[in-house]
Amino acid sequence: MSTKRAVVVAVVGLVLAAAPLRAHHAFSAEFDVNKPMKLQGTLVKWEMINPHSWFHIDVKGPDGQVVRWLVEGGSPNQLIRLGVTKNTLSAGMELLIEGYLARDGTNKGVGRNFTLADGKRLFLGGSAPGGDSGPVVK
Amino acid sequence: MNHRYVVIASRLIVVVAVLCATTSLAVAQTRAYRAPRTPDGQPDLQGFWTNTTYTPLQRPKEVTKELYTREEALEILKTAAALESEQTEPGTIPDVHYDFTQFGLDRNQGGLALNLRTSLIFDPANGQLPPMTEEGQKRNAARAEARKRMGGPTDAAQNQSLSVRCILMDRAGPPMLPGAYNNNYQIIQGPGYVMILVEMIHEPRIVPLDGRPHLPPHVRSLTGNSIGRWEGETLVVETTNFTDKTAFQGSSENMRLTERFTRVAEDRIDYKFTIDDPATWTRPWSAELPMQKTIGPIFEHACHEGNRGLSNTLAGARLEDKKRAEAAAGKSSQ
Repeated sequence: MSTKRAVVVAVVGLVLAAAPLRAHHAFSAEFDVNKPMKLQGTLVKWEMINPHSWFHIDVKGPDGQVVRWLVEGGSPNQLIRLGVTKNTLSAGMELLIEGYLARDGTNKGVGRNFTLADGKRLFLGGSAPGGDSGPVVK
Repeated sequence: MNHRYVVIASRLIVVVAVLCATTSLAVAQTRAYRAPRTPDGQPDLQGFWTNTTYTPLQRPKEVTKELYTREEALEILKTAAALESEQTEPGTIPDVHYDFTQFGLDRNQGGLALNLRTSLIFDPANGQLPPMTEEGQKRNAARAEARKRMGGPTDAAQNQSLSVRCILMDRAGPPMLPGAYNNNYQIIQGPGYVMILVEMIHEPRIVPLDGRPHLPPHVRSLTGNSIGRWEGETLVVETTNFTDKTAFQGSSENMRLTERFTRVAEDRIDYKFTIDDPATWTRPWSAELPMQKTIGPIFEHACHEGNRGLSNTLAGARLEDKKRAEAAAGKSSQ
């Protein structure tokens, strides 16, 4: 077997093997794939809790009414290691969040993408959306 | 937010990851490394360690060798890292999730050791779990049947897995195998004891080294009962008294686990374990993976306290039940 083919085969194998480990819980049971959401609002509070963090966002509707939304994100532990803390992520920031609405019908959702007003990713500053997927080992 | 700070911090992590990847090899190179000693004379395993890996437990069927070359292993690491960082397809089930890369949760973002092994299992030599005994097959079929009788996963909180209920995660084991992220451990040694703290979900395993016997068979716990001893440079931990609830790879509660921790370099512990469970497998089997030195501290992972996902999931399911019942009632009254 050529090296390249061996690599492809091995990677597919390991990705399949790793698949069940990806999610802590079945997000598709908590959120509805048929209800994508796009929220633009102001960060009020970031709950750095495990297993998943929650972002409280104030969103102004077309009628001028401000509605509070809760958005689920990842475990904060690794973000803290990366230097993102409650001191570096401040309330009042304008955020654009894409994701999916909760099945329980309340103002909740999962945030697939968190971006700032200028289009940059919230946590991986300096990377354009989709542009930070480079491998670590050069 | 201070962007620059975050960028610098994340680059630092990348550098650490590269260092880890370039300085480590999978196979223990038993050079003349001798671990420093604790004040009471034990080989010193203390510090923060991660066992994140892309290497699967069992060898992919198409791979026929035990070890990759260094070049192949690097290529696999690169490809797997790129694949993991890809954004999922909008409108698909896997897309209903927060993005791992954004939260620094991709395996390559936390630092990981390059592993030349094609599978974590090295015995049997084919890298596969040994065949299951008839008894093991029957037990696992009965478990699957019992799960089915309980109903769907959203029918009751009890139907969800131990990890979803924030009771125990796979990182704890034992044996300690990594999941996707937060695969961090802290080892502390005191006279007569070793403590192994698992970040997810905050399990401290306190292992006595005084040669005491295991607890009586009727005293059982999810993480078993661990007793340790030193064999030269290697900490050997034997664990028994498991319950039926964890069922590691389909094991029975009478599984006997032997873990071996050997510090083979300043920044690496070689972690080997053997599973002996004649009620489940036709022979014992063993696996190995490196534990790479990482940055502390371990952050508290108070899982249950923040586990809104479980109640959201059940609340969503009940609302959908109600809608279905109303729709059915509406139809029948027409």
